[in-house]
Amino acid sequence: MKWKHIMTVFKKELKDIVRDRKTLFSSIVVPIFLMPVIFLLVGGGTARMSEEMTTNITVALSEDSYSPAAQNFLKESLEAQDDEITVVDPVEDPWEAINSKKAKLVVSLDRDFEDKLENSEPFTLKIYYDNSLSRSGGAVGALRSAINKLNGIIAEQRLEALGINPELLTPVVVETENISKTGDGNMMLMMLLPMIIAMLVAVGGIPAATDLVAGEKERMTFEPLLTTRPSRMSILIGKYLTINVFSFASVISTLAGILLAFLINPRSITMGMGQIGGFSLDYGSAVLCVIVTLLLGMTFSGLQLAISTYARSFKEGQTYLSLLMFVVIIPAYSTMMIMPNDIQLYMYLIPVLNTISAFKLVLGGLTNYTGLILAVVTSLVYVALSLLAAASMFRNEKYLFRS
Amino acid sequence: MIELIGLTKKFGNVTAVNNLSFTVRKGEIFGLLGENGAGKTTTLRMLATMLKPTSGTARLAGIDIIESPEEVRGRVGILFGGESGLYDRLTVYENIQYFGELNDMPVKEIKKRIQKLADAFGMNDFLNKRAGKLSKGMRQKASFARAIVHNPDVLLLDEPTSGLDVGAMREVQTFLMNQKEEGKTILFSSHTMSEVEKLCDRIAVIHKGVLADTGTTNQLFQKYRTQSLEELFVRLAGDGR
Repeated sequence: MKWKHIMTVFKKELKDIVRDRKTLFSSIVVPIFLMPVIFLLVGGGTARMSEEMTTNITVALSEDSYSPAAQNFLKESLEAQDDEITVVDPVEDPWEAINSKKAKLVVSLDRDFEDKLENSEPFTLKIYYDNSLSRSGGAVGALRSAINKLNGIIAEQRLEALGINPELLTPVVVETENISKTGDGNMMLMMLLPMIIAMLVAVGGIPAATDLVAGEKERMTFEPLLTTRPSRMSILIGKYLTINVFSFASVISTLAGILLAFLINPRSITMGMGQIGGFSLDYGSAVLCVIVTLLLGMTFSGLQLAISTYARSFKEGQTYLSLLMFVVIIPAYSTMMIMPNDIQLYMYLIPVLNTISAFKLVLGGLTNYTGLILAVVTSLVYVALSLLAAASMFRNEKYLFRS
Repeated sequence: MIELIGLTKKFGNVTAVNNLSFTVRKGEIFGLLGENGAGKTTTLRMLATMLKPTSGTARLAGIDIIESPEEVRGRVGILFGGESGLYDRLTVYENIQYFGELNDMPVKEIKKRIQKLADAFGMNDFLNKRAGKLSKGMRQKASFARAIVHNPDVLLLDEPTSGLDVGAMREVQTFLMNQKEEGKTILFSSHTMSEVEKLCDRIAVIHKGVLADTGTTNQLFQKYRTQSLEELFVRLAGDGR
């Protein structure tokens, strides 16, 4: 194996693939433009949905329980509890009213609610909502909260009328304060960013890997290459480096796309779940995290090269390599909701999970050198194993020349 | 010179090439004949060190294919098929340059050699065009130029005229004659009997992986009392047809 031969193959493959619009487009160009579109659409949509659920909550009284007194009661008591609540004109059909956006929620009151209120008896306020519409289903919470406040005020008035201190009913006063140093949006970022990066590092090299061996077999350029002076290992390493470059290039272009989305609308990349900020980055952990990520890319590049060598044609290569997506997607999605404090030590030992864990750890501002070093060491073993798999395919005449 | 010594290749239980031994002399054009599946391509692939023999060996320009495969590849020019194997997204120049670099040629020498080959093959007009945009004839010239960019002593050609029209076939034949004049040793397989008769100093007929016979065409005609190569071929490789 000669370095000169490796670099000759590597430079040629880079030049060849850069000229392949299909591979270049899918690996580099698409993520730069697709990411902002995804984040702005999904993030913007989520933010809009959240706004719809919590603002301008229109409540209507149903016709069958309408009376001027009931209408006034709702207007005075509910609107006073929440500025976002507006009581609108009564409606006949709750479903039709909610679906035609006349109101987000419809309520009915007992016909004798006034008497019951007067006699300190409980009365029923029934809320009609449509759970299939987020603007309606999501607004129920705000209305419930307003009614709870109203209940408290009425109960207080009644107790005071009886000469009882209302504080007797509240032995424990709960106070909450969010002392997190990071922005609310960081949590969303910790869920999404590690998953996206790990998935891209693992699959970003697939277009290049498919082209570099399976594609060459199909175009009949592979055999002439094997008849040249370099050893098969030199050719293999040259191609391997090219796949690595493309897998990392796809990550960089994706991150550039995410950055673009952030610049257009900062809330989009947290799916509207608050702002990002207050990171406390541990540089040692960050460096180890980058190393783990690079090693994951190298592991998958080796696997992709082995699979591409096994394949008879470009199409077969594409089919086999697309299955590799599942190997990545399953652990990526299953750990999406895990927060940095929930990461178990074994997760640092498993490919894909190790990268996701490392990123979550760094984004969460935590340190766990034992876990990260374990991840680096095991990743090195995985890189070696994947390269061995690729090398054994490259040495195997049965797979190398089948077409 | 090419020397095959008991060259054998088995794929599982199938023996593709069985104990093949013959010699191709320096400066000779040697034709390898046989039906489809007779073992011609496997033989050439073993000589090109792409496949490892199950047993036996061969020496090309005095170098053993098992002991020094890389050195063998550096001394041999190989072309499998007429015009296939070019990188479509690279120019003709880049295609030839790539093989020159892979064969450890210095940059200056590659440049000179490409110019010489471009003049010899009449490729100057399309030297900087991408291979994917070339006609079949142009691709064929580029393939030949690429195969001999490192000025090899030995040429291994597997059906180099396959799929080519008459004009292109004549150019291949002229190329082979020119290479012979330059003292190259050429082993090539072909299905075109007239081409073999016209070009080859000697031939070998292989049948089901076994050497049926070898010699000059005249020697074989006399030995088997035939007057045409077709007849001789059917006699040696035709299963009694």
